[in-house]
Amino acid sequence: MDDLHLFIGNKCFSSWSLRPWVALKVHRIPFKETVIRLRQPDTKANIRMLARSEKVPCLHHGSRVVWESLSILEYLADVFPELKFWPEDRHARAMARSISAEMHSGFADLRNEWGMNLRRKKSAKTLTGPARDQARRIEDYWRRMRSSHGQGGPFLFGHFTAADAMYAPVVTRFDTYGGDLSPDTRSYCDAVLATGAMKAWYAEAALEPWPEPSPDE
Amino acid sequence: MAKFHLVVANKNYSSWSLRAWIAMREFAIPFTETVIALDLPNTQRQIKNHTGAGRLPVLHHGTTTIWESLAILEYLAEKFPDKALWPRSSGARAMARAVANEMHAGFMALRNACPMNLKRRRKPLARQIGDEIKSDVRRIETLWEECRKANGRGGPFLFGKFSIADAMYAPVVTRFDTYVLKVGGGARDYMDAVMDTQAFRAWKADALQEKWIIQADEVD
Repeated sequence: MDDLHLFIGNKCFSSWSLRPWVALKVHRIPFKETVIRLRQPDTKANIRMLARSEKVPCLHHGSRVVWESLSILEYLADVFPELKFWPEDRHARAMARSISAEMHSGFADLRNEWGMNLRRKKSAKTLTGPARDQARRIEDYWRRMRSSHGQGGPFLFGHFTAADAMYAPVVTRFDTYGGDLSPDTRSYCDAVLATGAMKAWYAEAALEPWPEPSPDE
Repeated sequence: MAKFHLVVANKNYSSWSLRAWIAMREFAIPFTETVIALDLPNTQRQIKNHTGAGRLPVLHHGTTTIWESLAILEYLAEKFPDKALWPRSSGARAMARAVANEMHAGFMALRNACPMNLKRRRKPLARQIGDEIKSDVRRIETLWEECRKANGRGGPFLFGKFSIADAMYAPVVTRFDTYVLKVGGGARDYMDAVMDTQAFRAWKADALQEKWIIQADEVD
């Protein structure tokens, strides 16, 4: 099979990059990676030149170029059916796709107010109206998925799926800014944060030499 | 097989609803539908009555409830593999998913400035078109061109035959048309192909019958 090559942004704050990366790592799929530093004058040119794309994350597989976190995950699900990127049960899979698509295009207020920043000290930051509703909605999804489909393991649908990868950045946001989390939320966040893949991402983020993002951004 | 029931919002305005609906029609998947008017005092209650998801469009299939236009379309693609809702070749399918996802989460400047409004008289925006909108339009044009060039030989759509990618971009096609945004190359032919589908014509005919006005989406 052709080699996989993933192009991503800074690990400290590129939430979209984290999604396919963590999924590849959890499933032990070998891949090469290139980090393209974001927020620089030449970022756009570098992404175009290296990733042959307008944005990161971007996955190269042979001559194929796949961009957008969710379509990279769908692509991997297609290429590696045996790894069960989506839940096997049809009904559960439909739920997984709905909440993943909603994560992909939604929760904008929450994402703005709680920007992913792995350098920030953990401390509670209160959300305003719409962002607070979005946080509640996410916690409600997690609780419902865990109680309806989570029997086989600690993740939303038991084993680690694309839905967990899609929500992984939000898990870091809850951990960074959420303060005292409800027990259900805490235990799901801990399950994600305890994966070897997330630990590796955090470790590599900590080694990034660049000043952005500042710890109190 | 259990029957499909699709709950959509006003056809004149609801771009997200159009995507699921046009694909189901175009792929001849039978379904019943409920239309819920947005922005009325009882809208939220109506949505809650029809779906636990709290948002539209929603597809009901037996005991399964699916929301988000793209997730609905993935569900149907799985359900009807023989209908090829995505392109059959793995490379084309990867590209189709990427462009569909980019549409799903992006182009906010264009979407905010030019709400889908099928009853609006076709004319350019009264206000000046900002750079962000222009860059959205250029990006979409480029994506269409690249899809057509790489995979469009078998027909007038992005991947030749009508696919989920076309359903995802159908609302943008109407925006380009309604607000007379300048597009080059083959974009006009592509837009005509989408608007010429029976499914789109049927949707538009329904939209034109609607009496509801959403003031926030009426843009000069």
